[in-house]
Amino acid sequence: MKKTIHITVNHQPLELAVEPNQTLLEVIRENLGLTGTKAGCLVGDCGACTVLVEGRPVNSCLMLAVQADGKQLTTIEGVETPQGLHPLQAAFVDKGAIQCGYCTPGMILSAKGLLDGNPRADEAEIRKAISGNLCRCTGYQKIVEAILFASRCSP
Amino acid sequence: MLLPRFQYHEPRSLTEACRMMAELGAAASPIAGGTDLVVNMRRGTLAPEHVVSLGRINELCAMDMTGRTLTLGACCTVASLAESSDIAAGFPALCEGALTLGSPLVRNLATLGGNLVTARPAADLPPPLMAYGGSVTLHSSQEQRVVPLDQFFLGPGRTVMKPAEILGSVAIDIPSAFSGSSYFKLGARRALEISIASVASFLALERPGGKILSARIVLGAVAPLPMRAGGAEKILIGETPSRSLFVKVGETAARESKPIDDHRGSAEYRRDMVSVLTEKTLVAALERANSNRRE
Repeated sequence: MKKTIHITVNHQPLELAVEPNQTLLEVIRENLGLTGTKAGCLVGDCGACTVLVEGRPVNSCLMLAVQADGKQLTTIEGVETPQGLHPLQAAFVDKGAIQCGYCTPGMILSAKGLLDGNPRADEAEIRKAISGNLCRCTGYQKIVEAILFASRCSP
Repeated sequence: MLLPRFQYHEPRSLTEACRMMAELGAAASPIAGGTDLVVNMRRGTLAPEHVVSLGRINELCAMDMTGRTLTLGACCTVASLAESSDIAAGFPALCEGALTLGSPLVRNLATLGGNLVTARPAADLPPPLMAYGGSVTLHSSQEQRVVPLDQFFLGPGRTVMKPAEILGSVAIDIPSAFSGSSYFKLGARRALEISIASVASFLALERPGGKILSARIVLGAVAPLPMRAGGAEKILIGETPSRSLFVKVGETAARESKPIDDHRGSAEYRRDMVSVLTEKTLVAALERANSNRRE
């Protein structure tokens, strides 16, 4: 039987009817059509499905959508600002931190979760913050450089 | 690919949750962070008819420092333990355990209670909590009972919990002055890792630089359950700490461990590492004990 949940996704309050066995990832991608959030391993190992729940990055494949009732969510679609790309997104582009792009939404949300609370994070903090996000292309160096660049540019 | 279907329940109090678990019986699984249950449902190893969420029960999410006891609700996230200043100051080994569990993403969901009730031999929170002499409170519709963590685990995936019981909280007493503790997890990488071996050590001194009054050494991932190295602990009591003493204690702990060979490491390597990690954590615990004057 479907349950009604109220969630705020990228500042937009929504009322949704979801099946209890739907993960948050499935609801984001399939019910809301927000396919920027990627489905990877589905068991919490890869971080491709990372979204922010109440400002904290989590694996959306491990959370039931019903558990998100009443919470504020940010997906990659909600990161861009009215002025254009978020500084983190711009840094990923400028520093060549994207290759295939599959890990990118998750990397950016983990980085955003870090920098929102610690705008001047250093390299060690950055490496730790993205340690739940796997990238099979870049070797991480350019991703770390991009986040470090965004961190150094923060006001 | 959807998860198996189930009915979802969201009790608002522990009493209500206990009643539900009693009524639904073996058809029900509690869910807190979901980092274990959802994975098992995804893999098809579990398909409960009913899932009872503990996440909306406020009393299970509390962290309370009263008198000389820190009480942690079972639904405290691992991230909240890692970020707590009370834990960092008073229980550094627990902070170290919380910081090495899973990944930052997992720590934001995973809970203290979940890391205990799943009873994995390599879990990161049992060794530090046992090193502090922690105990758990178990609740059911019939009774409430306190079980020391030393007696809680029975084997891989098995605890003394009865089917309809819910783990409500963990209590640890604030260690005496001149005590110190440390946890070290050995893995092949720093995140999303299951320990090859881990050790938590606790030492209490009579005074800075003085003799050892009490000690606890807990080994993870080297036996079917997290285990006290009782023989190793005994060697420490009444002695003046020294490197050579710690080496001897490490060797004893290694002999007491019961590791297996698997793809993460051989039993022989694990035993050697128990010795190294025991010594390492004792050195760190001693340093903290010597600088900890908190009454």
